[in-house]
Amino acid sequence: MPTDPPLLRVRNLRRAFGQVTVLDGVELDVAAGEAVALVGRNGAGKSTLLRCVTGADRPSDGTVELAGRRLDERDPDVRRDLAVVMDDLDFFPDLSVVEHLDLFARAHGLAGDEAEAVVDRVLADVGLVPQSAQLPATLSSGQRRRLALASAFVRPRRLLVLDEPEQRLDTAGVTWLIERLVQEKGDGLGVLLASHDPALVDAVADRVVSLDRTGAE
Amino acid sequence: MTEPSVGELRGQIRQWRRGRADTRLLQVLEDAYVAVFAAVMGLSVAVSVVLRLRNDLEAVCRTATCHQARSVLPLVLALAVLTGCVVLARLFGPMLVSPAVASWLLAAPVDRTRLLRPRLFVTALGAMVPGGVAVAGVAALAGYDAGSVAALGAAQGLLCVLVVGSLTVAQALRPGMATAVGRVLAAVTWGLLAGLTLGLLPRFASAEAGASVPAAVVVAVLVVAGLAAVALWRAADVLPLIPRDRLTPGGTLAPGLSGALGTLDLALAYDVLLGRHWQARSTVASRPARGTGIWPLVWRDLIRLRRRPRLLVLLAAAAVVPFLAAELGLERLVLPVAAITGLVAGLDLFSALRVLSRTPGLVRCLPQPGWQVRAACCLVPAVPLLVWGVATAPAMQAALGGPWAVALGTGATAGAAAVVGAMRWMTGRPPNYQLPLVSSPMGAVPPTLYLSVFRGIDVTVLVTVPVLVAPTVRGVEVALGLAAVIAAILLARD
Repeated sequence: MPTDPPLLRVRNLRRAFGQVTVLDGVELDVAAGEAVALVGRNGAGKSTLLRCVTGADRPSDGTVELAGRRLDERDPDVRRDLAVVMDDLDFFPDLSVVEHLDLFARAHGLAGDEAEAVVDRVLADVGLVPQSAQLPATLSSGQRRRLALASAFVRPRRLLVLDEPEQRLDTAGVTWLIERLVQEKGDGLGVLLASHDPALVDAVADRVVSLDRTGAE
Repeated sequence: MTEPSVGELRGQIRQWRRGRADTRLLQVLEDAYVAVFAAVMGLSVAVSVVLRLRNDLEAVCRTATCHQARSVLPLVLALAVLTGCVVLARLFGPMLVSPAVASWLLAAPVDRTRLLRPRLFVTALGAMVPGGVAVAGVAALAGYDAGSVAALGAAQGLLCVLVVGSLTVAQALRPGMATAVGRVLAAVTWGLLAGLTLGLLPRFASAEAGASVPAAVVVAVLVVAGLAAVALWRAADVLPLIPRDRLTPGGTLAPGLSGALGTLDLALAYDVLLGRHWQARSTVASRPARGTGIWPLVWRDLIRLRRRPRLLVLLAAAAVVPFLAAELGLERLVLPVAAITGLVAGLDLFSALRVLSRTPGLVRCLPQPGWQVRAACCLVPAVPLLVWGVATAPAMQAALGGPWAVALGTGATAGAAAVVGAMRWMTGRPPNYQLPLVSSPMGAVPPTLYLSVFRGIDVTVLVTVPVLVAPTVRGVEVALGLAAVIAAILLARD
């Protein structure tokens, strides 16, 4: 009896920058309802791997599949299923916090009252209700991080890809993030994150993949 | 241990300096000679070009409107330069300090007057010289005699000093004044252009009329000089009253802008200014979008127009330019003039397209294909630009003659050319320094760097070519088809 493919499947992925090979022969699976954490020293290739997985960067070799299909970030289905929070996320300078979330929710097909309810809930979750009318440039770096995370939670998704999501969050924010990611797993979503925070990794990850050339743990 | 004498200290300083000198005195003198020689050469070339252009203009300027425009041109430019001076002063301060100076010196108990006074005089000089030279050059082109050229240049330079001094006082005491002054000057400049177009302005004296500097002009220059001196003195007096939060924004903005302009990346400079504008606004009255899919993006652009109606006012005001060009007898050139004017005046309508083009992470948040997202961001801005183009049809009809159908089509072509030009400008990529570089006086640069200055204008002019070649319905059809093809290519390009 054939088994369903994992939500994310990475095979023999290699990424080299000139003479320097950052990733070589990476094999990685993320199943629905599973959280996988990437750990490693600075420069180990965590962000590069996430960029290759999300199509923000092109691997030198290897394949990336999402739900059994080759991942092409130009494919609207892929962009619908993949919620990504990385460092390169910037915002419209003239849209307020709540307008950003409203835009993302509606672009993903949530209409009218449904969009409004989801946006209100996520705004409350990330603690940005008092800042809802503010423009992104006036937010603190931690608040901008919360807005970036909210942009992923306000829309339908199957796989959540997060690059050091704990960055710039205060203690309460990290606690909230842990609860939220555990809930995401419980809802059957896949989570792939890179992190330097052992507490976050311990609390969320079902598997930890070290990229320090020591293989998977 | 005995204290060293002043002579010993000076001797040590002299020895320290000589030990670190890396240039001989003779080399310094040689460099100075080359610099002075180059400046004199450059100046003589510039004067020669101005005189040559003046003769050429006198040969081709035959209509009454053209003569009138030539005589009024220095006045229009003087107002435009003053408006630009106010805009720059408002943008940067006019007094500014770098972030390092802000954190080290403004926080220390030092006399801010001594810190800021040299900057005040440098700023005043920096406004006076280019402003005066620009107006003097145009006055020479307009046919004024040497005395009038010198008087007008001096008056303009001193007016620029007056503006810098007054706005420095305003920076300390009434920060909102710069905005009001800028708006008034812009309105007066526009009124002059409109008056010129409608033939409502009197003709001023020029060399053809055999006029020299009237005594009133000399008196006016002296009065302006006195006012400028008073403004500068008063500005120096209030320098310590300028709060830190009004000195630092300009200093933060300057490095970003100079970096962008240093690489000729005008779009990056636009990003910096756009970010600065909205950061100053800080909050907005949030409004939900409507629809799903790409329609919320379209709806957002409508909300943008509602938030910044001055973009439409600016576009409408810019319509005076093609009409003036038609009055000046530029004939077929009215079309490219109108298209480029539409491009410049309507560029800011496409800000969402620019943000999405420079931020791939933001596009990844949307499930639609990239071309759909870009198309959604062009829909609303394209409408007022096309309407604007059609509204210039009377100017096209006056310039080209022929049936009204062609004039309307030519106007639509101007609008469409402006739209594709704006699309190209906003979706342009920054200079790629990974390409093979070429040697230049600025160092190694990508071959495409200098061409990037013409980005947007290139396709705008290209779209107008079919109508310039054949001002017929067929020419209009080809031009609009060309615009559609270019728009499709720009939208499809990832």
